[in-house]
Amino acid sequence: MATTSPAAPKPKPKSSSLLSTLFSRPLPLYVSAFLLRLVLLLYGLWQDANSPLKYTDIDYLVFTDAARFVSRGESPYARETYRYTPILAWLLLPTTWTAGAQWGPLAAKVINVAWFSFGKVLFAAADLVAGWLIEQVLVMGKDFPSSPAQGKENDTERKEGGRKDPSETTTGMDPSRARAFAAIWLLNPMVATISTRGSSEGLLGVLVMALLWAVLSRRITLAGLLLGFSVHFKIYPFIYAPAIVWWMDQERLSGFRAGGGQKTSSSFRKKLTRFLTLPRLLLAFTSLATFLSLNFLMYRLYGHPFLQETYLHHVTRIDHRHNFSPYNTQLYLSSASVSPSHSAAEPKFKIESLAFLPQLVLSTILIPLTLAKKDLPTSLLAQTFAFVTFNKVCTSQYFLWYLVLLPLYLPRSSFWTSKRRGLVALGLWVLGQGLWLQQAYELEFLGRSTFLPGLWMASLGFFVVNCWILGVIVGDGGR
Amino acid sequence: MRERITFIQKQGDSIEPTTLKIKGGVLNGPEIQAAREDRLTIAIDELPKGLQALLGTAHELHIRYVSSEPYEAITPLLARLPPGFHLFYTPAGQADATSPALCLALNQIFGNVQCENPEKSFTTLPRDRFSHSAAYQFYQPSVDLSPFIALAKEKLCSSSKDQSCAARADRLTNASSLDISYDAISHAVKLTATWPYQKQEVHATSRPQTRTEVGVLNSDRPGHLEPHELGISGLLTVLGQDKKPSATMFAFASRHRDAESSFSAEFLEPTGLHPTLKLRLESSKPPIEDAYCSPHAYFTLPKTIFADRHQLSDDLFLASKNLTGLRYISQPVDLEAPEYVEKRWGSSLLLELSPPEHEESKSWTAQVPLHLRYLSPAEGGYTDIQVPYPAVFWACAAEEGTKFPNNPFEKANLGYDGLFGPRTVFWHVEPRPTIGSRLSNMMKVPVLDTNKAEWVSGGTGLAVLLGFAWIMWKLFGVLSKSGYQNQPSQAAEVVKAKKNQ
Repeated sequence: MATTSPAAPKPKPKSSSLLSTLFSRPLPLYVSAFLLRLVLLLYGLWQDANSPLKYTDIDYLVFTDAARFVSRGESPYARETYRYTPILAWLLLPTTWTAGAQWGPLAAKVINVAWFSFGKVLFAAADLVAGWLIEQVLVMGKDFPSSPAQGKENDTERKEGGRKDPSETTTGMDPSRARAFAAIWLLNPMVATISTRGSSEGLLGVLVMALLWAVLSRRITLAGLLLGFSVHFKIYPFIYAPAIVWWMDQERLSGFRAGGGQKTSSSFRKKLTRFLTLPRLLLAFTSLATFLSLNFLMYRLYGHPFLQETYLHHVTRIDHRHNFSPYNTQLYLSSASVSPSHSAAEPKFKIESLAFLPQLVLSTILIPLTLAKKDLPTSLLAQTFAFVTFNKVCTSQYFLWYLVLLPLYLPRSSFWTSKRRGLVALGLWVLGQGLWLQQAYELEFLGRSTFLPGLWMASLGFFVVNCWILGVIVGDGGR
Repeated sequence: MRERITFIQKQGDSIEPTTLKIKGGVLNGPEIQAAREDRLTIAIDELPKGLQALLGTAHELHIRYVSSEPYEAITPLLARLPPGFHLFYTPAGQADATSPALCLALNQIFGNVQCENPEKSFTTLPRDRFSHSAAYQFYQPSVDLSPFIALAKEKLCSSSKDQSCAARADRLTNASSLDISYDAISHAVKLTATWPYQKQEVHATSRPQTRTEVGVLNSDRPGHLEPHELGISGLLTVLGQDKKPSATMFAFASRHRDAESSFSAEFLEPTGLHPTLKLRLESSKPPIEDAYCSPHAYFTLPKTIFADRHQLSDDLFLASKNLTGLRYISQPVDLEAPEYVEKRWGSSLLLELSPPEHEESKSWTAQVPLHLRYLSPAEGGYTDIQVPYPAVFWACAAEEGTKFPNNPFEKANLGYDGLFGPRTVFWHVEPRPTIGSRLSNMMKVPVLDTNKAEWVSGGTGLAVLLGFAWIMWKLFGVLSKSGYQNQPSQAAEVVKAKKNQ
């Protein structure tokens, strides 16, 4: 990988035999991904039991505390900082189970620890399923051919409208190559560590990948359910809705074809009726219905705390603590300057109040509009990347949101065809974080005031690197 | 109005009755080494109207100011609190908890009390366990006593010419503690000030319309003393009534005792944003042999710093810090909010410490992990905060059936006493700082340096704009080359093919 062959962008044919055995059949890859997580999980249990420094993520203690409240018939929001859907606490109810009286003290201890680890097992299993779905999507190809017969004569008015020739459709990837790319997720130590430490991001990975898989295989109702559910779960997947809707044009979903309204006239009404296809309406309906009914149900069960903690909190939060976001220093500065002394007199303009604009314009309008029809997975990756990069708060867990989509884009990316460019991007991404982390360490542990200029410059530097990478992804997606 | 002035010496330091000269309401005596306590009991209708109205909103109000100068406690004045301004309050009615009246008055009587109203600024105390706790607690590390001293001069001294009265009020500046206690049942306010054990002259003057009782006492150990009791002997005189002092000796049960050992508290360096307070205790031996005893530390932490109760729940972690467990923490403690949006004064917590198990007594340490809140940006990039010493004591269980009726020197409502059962005896460990001479640790907290902040807004905006523009440029490149439809290369071919047709 390290050699930079200027001409040949293909993966080297003489990759080691060990690697080819790993990917030639499914079993070795999934077994090693499983073993990686098993080893980390067991190591984590050992560290937790023997060291005051815990392997388990603090969030996992929040989830399991919330599950304990639920098991007692109380609200999961009785646990401070529980800011998730109650479903997460319900899923983790087994972590509250304990061994019965028939077991000896040692066996009971083992059983209790095993039950308590249930959530980590669940998150790790979600990782594996997400990895398997990555493989499926890659094998499926970036798109499915639309049915060749129809629409042939109707193309005339569409100037750039492409219709796929069945002989030329993008074909799927060879399964062993697909597994090699899925390994970026499956064998990624960062991914395996995060889920075995008990962070729930792995669940998001599987939801998003399942959503993409359902969309690409035209399972519209399932896609709607998954979309509604994942937005209920973590809000941010709502950015995928415009991309998926835009992608679902008649050519791709001919099987669902609605009756009339597809002909030449370009009046707005006609365009609208042609846009509002049955599958699009079906997706909108199922996803909205899922989202709203889940929220309604949770609101009925847990009332205002549910709304406050899962949704409204994100509106009112200050995000003053240091994080990777470029806005961070500005947010700390302005959150502290809202003193009563100069409030009403001079309504000071604050740039961060417009921070959502570039973020949402890119991730929900421009990127899906430009890329979704050309390359849906790359569009989703670019949207997620834009959402995370331009977000008002950014921690390393958010990187998993786009990491799960990376294997789908990488085979077609210029980061892969030009290994040098890929390594430079990876190097800069790691370096950007490293510089920031170094400044954060000085602040957090040594008590040095590195807010300015250190942390600020580091977060802007990391932001610039991310923007460059995002620009390249956008360029690749348009090829 | 009643006044009680008590000089308290150590055991064996009694004075001869003949050395006290009583003449027309004035008592003079020799210079002795003693602690002093002055207590003024004022009936509610003797108070100015404004204060009467204020106290009308309270069912119970205790203000306890403790100096941050270290002092040696003398039997029976043994109860200790962390240094600073403590307040315990039970409103008379629901509406009083949301009224700003108390906070406004506090700000007039003591300068710079940071409170809005009890509901917002105070913490609630658990009232389900032992009912003698007040409903609300408030604390801040320091307070300006001068407005109070001025008020005391104005209201308590008969005329502005009364120099000795004014001097007495001024001496409050050096007091080791000042208590103002009111409850609706007794209908009286008790003002109690104590001064540390030092050389001082025995002197007292009676004041008009005031019954003044002067005691020159010392701790004693009469033969019939029970283990849970303290003994006192000495001389009592009622000014203007007694011609000569009368000898007295009495014993009473006390919940507060002297453990006769000391501790110090300091932060481990570097402090960072998650400082650890190290408590070093001189002795690992319980103060009494035949009772269940366990050392505790009671903290009142201002809102700049807090403990995370979730972090303090893992046994392995606790054991590594020589802690047994978090026994109480006021609720709620926001784990994320910056200091400048937090309305509540802070939090109080009670930690049980875990002494090493050795036969002989030796010094040992316990570490208390804490977390700093973000503070407001400031010039220079650092802000100093004060973190008060905790009160450290051994809590020992008294024998079954032991009763602790109120004694003449008893203090109740200290914040921690309500967290223990009624038979618990507190053996206080004396705070003795090794660094500096105050019972509080100063810490430098890193904050955003406002001197360097002038480019932040513009720089951030520019960076975001440039990043956004670059991505827009790339998007524009894609759109202009192949539009927003799928399969650009094929589409181009289709167009070409059509042109050729």
